[in-house]
Amino acid sequence: MSETVVPRRALICGVSGQDGAYLAQLLLTKGYQVWGTSRDAQMNAFAGLQSLGIRDQIKALSMSPVDFRSVLQVISEIRPHEIYNLAGQSSVGFSFGQPLETMESIAFGTLNLLEAIRFVDSSIRFYNAGSSECFGDTGGAPADEQTPFRPRSPYAVAKAAATWQVAVYRESYGLFACTGILFNHESPLRPERFVTKKIVAAACRIAKGSDEKLSLGNIDIRRDWGWAPEYVDAMWRMLNHETPEDFVIATGITQSLQDFIATVFSEAGLDWRAHVVSDPGLRRPSDPPESKANPDKAKNLLAWGSTCSGADVAKRMYAAECGQSVIGLNKGEANV
Amino acid sequence: MTPHSPLPTPQSPRVALITGITGQDGAYLAELLLEKGYIVHGIRRRASLFNTDRIDHLYQDPHLAGTRLFLHYGDMTDSSSLIRIIKQVQPDEIYNLAAQSHVAVSFEEPEYTANSDALGALRILEAVRLLGFEKKTRFYQASTSELYGLVQETPQKETTPFYPRSPYAVAKLYAYWITINYREAYGIYACNGILFNHESPVRGETFVTRKITRALARIKLGLQDCLYLGNMNSLRDWGHAKDYVEMQWLMLQQEKPEDFVIATGVQYSVRDFVNAAARELGMQIRWEGQGVDEKGYWINSSLRGGAARHCEEQRDEAIQSLPSLRGGAADAAIQSNPIVAVDPRYFRPTEVETLLGDATKAREKLGWTPKITFDELVAEMVREDLKSAERDELIKRHGYKSMDYHE
Repeated sequence: MSETVVPRRALICGVSGQDGAYLAQLLLTKGYQVWGTSRDAQMNAFAGLQSLGIRDQIKALSMSPVDFRSVLQVISEIRPHEIYNLAGQSSVGFSFGQPLETMESIAFGTLNLLEAIRFVDSSIRFYNAGSSECFGDTGGAPADEQTPFRPRSPYAVAKAAATWQVAVYRESYGLFACTGILFNHESPLRPERFVTKKIVAAACRIAKGSDEKLSLGNIDIRRDWGWAPEYVDAMWRMLNHETPEDFVIATGITQSLQDFIATVFSEAGLDWRAHVVSDPGLRRPSDPPESKANPDKAKNLLAWGSTCSGADVAKRMYAAECGQSVIGLNKGEANV
Repeated sequence: MTPHSPLPTPQSPRVALITGITGQDGAYLAELLLEKGYIVHGIRRRASLFNTDRIDHLYQDPHLAGTRLFLHYGDMTDSSSLIRIIKQVQPDEIYNLAAQSHVAVSFEEPEYTANSDALGALRILEAVRLLGFEKKTRFYQASTSELYGLVQETPQKETTPFYPRSPYAVAKLYAYWITINYREAYGIYACNGILFNHESPVRGETFVTRKITRALARIKLGLQDCLYLGNMNSLRDWGHAKDYVEMQWLMLQQEKPEDFVIATGVQYSVRDFVNAAARELGMQIRWEGQGVDEKGYWINSSLRGGAARHCEEQRDEAIQSLPSLRGGAADAAIQSNPIVAVDPRYFRPTEVETLLGDATKAREKLGWTPKITFDELVAEMVREDLKSAERDELIKRHGYKSMDYHE
């Protein structure tokens, strides 16, 4: 038998989300065979994959991460080299309304994947989507991999538990399992319940003549916003690093939500103050005022860095929303 | 924020709900609360075997109990059972002590552990919120020193960062943070007691301390040959459960909810515990070997009692007639077999080597200090286990079958 190069196989759990779509695109360009799961693949339109023009290249499967049988079945069948766990309830605000579902989909999903890897093939590499929300309020100090967690929402508590589960399985069973502690990362593929997309969509409609008001909660919060297509590259680098480690992924620059709003509206040629109203009902029961990151470890060990500031993110999202630009991985790349 | 409901007047007895009332802490806490005049409700799981041994005496004592102790069937993995019970009981205080509480078992049953320990706490907090009891019901969460795992500083206090090392610890970490989150987000009087190891004569038989006292008592009476342990170098801060439940209650009686470390501040190894228990039984142990080959030999095994003593008496009579063999060879036969040995099966995939608590905050803010010393704790456990072993030995000697289960 002649030796042929077997393409690497990747399984993306939660491929229908923003990160799943960009990651699928990245892995395809790297020559991977990519499988993607969603709880009901038949019913999912995979709009993200569609808009990136890669729907046909991804093999979609149904898998519920909270159902051990379905996890085991998919992993046994595909025998992936790499698994990216991006599945799970992803909204902080929503987690106050559905805390149990949030915990189950995040932590039980992660646990089932770890157990299934132990069971099927412990050489499978595992990426787990952590969250900067785990840090909570660091009092203005930039968070790095050594910063203790202080989660402040049911979402963040669930993500903290999942991050520790990964660490326990890495240390107990020697799995190549790691967590990317990603700070906010946005793109045109964000659904509108995320505040960045909500702002961009509203600004775009207002620019086209809508007289609506944009209702927002606390706009003084400060976050580190990055460009999602760059962040999925960090995920891949983590699984192709020599040793399994956790990494903070961020731009290192923090700005206020008000800054983000101002940038978007100025792109639209508008003064945000005329269109934004404050709605105390949209404030969360507990919300860290500021998040700040130190992504040096990723820079030093993964040679990864963000080239896109929060203002760039705002501009790109606005341009995409108004149909002025493409939304693929590479800025100049044509698609759809 | 509106203030929490004031402490009720003496006329209306306070109502407490204890999840995990059938466990070690549940039993001690129920007793304490009944003494303080509370009406106590407890949740127990349905099981095909009786599981209320630890609180049966509270039922039977009419002075203590009367009609002030009630049990309900429920389960930490069943939201509706919890909501139904809380609605019916309308508790002033909830003590969430229910859990899959065994670290080693959590590696075998990680999902169940997360479901009962992590989501269980969330289900209770959600029930409080759902029923509109945020200002009425105070919540105590049984957190654990296992959260510190791979310790980031010594001793560990409230501000020490966590580093959980087992599925049990990760599940408890979730419960810890969700308790704080519900305190901050909804103003519930909710707090964590970060309790270091706490033991008693009713500690579960598979926990290392109880396993040691039980085994040594049984070995002394000739009911068991050898005690197998995991990592004997593990260092722990062991207190008495009775002292610790008092602190659980105290934490819910403050003006504002805060988290506290509960510990003795003194550390011993598992081997120290074995030696202390042996000393209590008048047994001298000689240690030989290192690591997995470490073994403990019973030097003065001529003290061996009960059934063995019976045999030994006969043997000694025989030996009497052979003076040259007396002592030496016979004792050597017993001494050649260790009574303590290491079984790597009890090693954990990730060990927690050392835990030592600093309960300064509890002392300074609540005036709490543990009253029962390590030696007193070991003595009490040994005394109770020796009684059980004597009972078993008696039963056995009279030709009846006694329960012989041990790991």
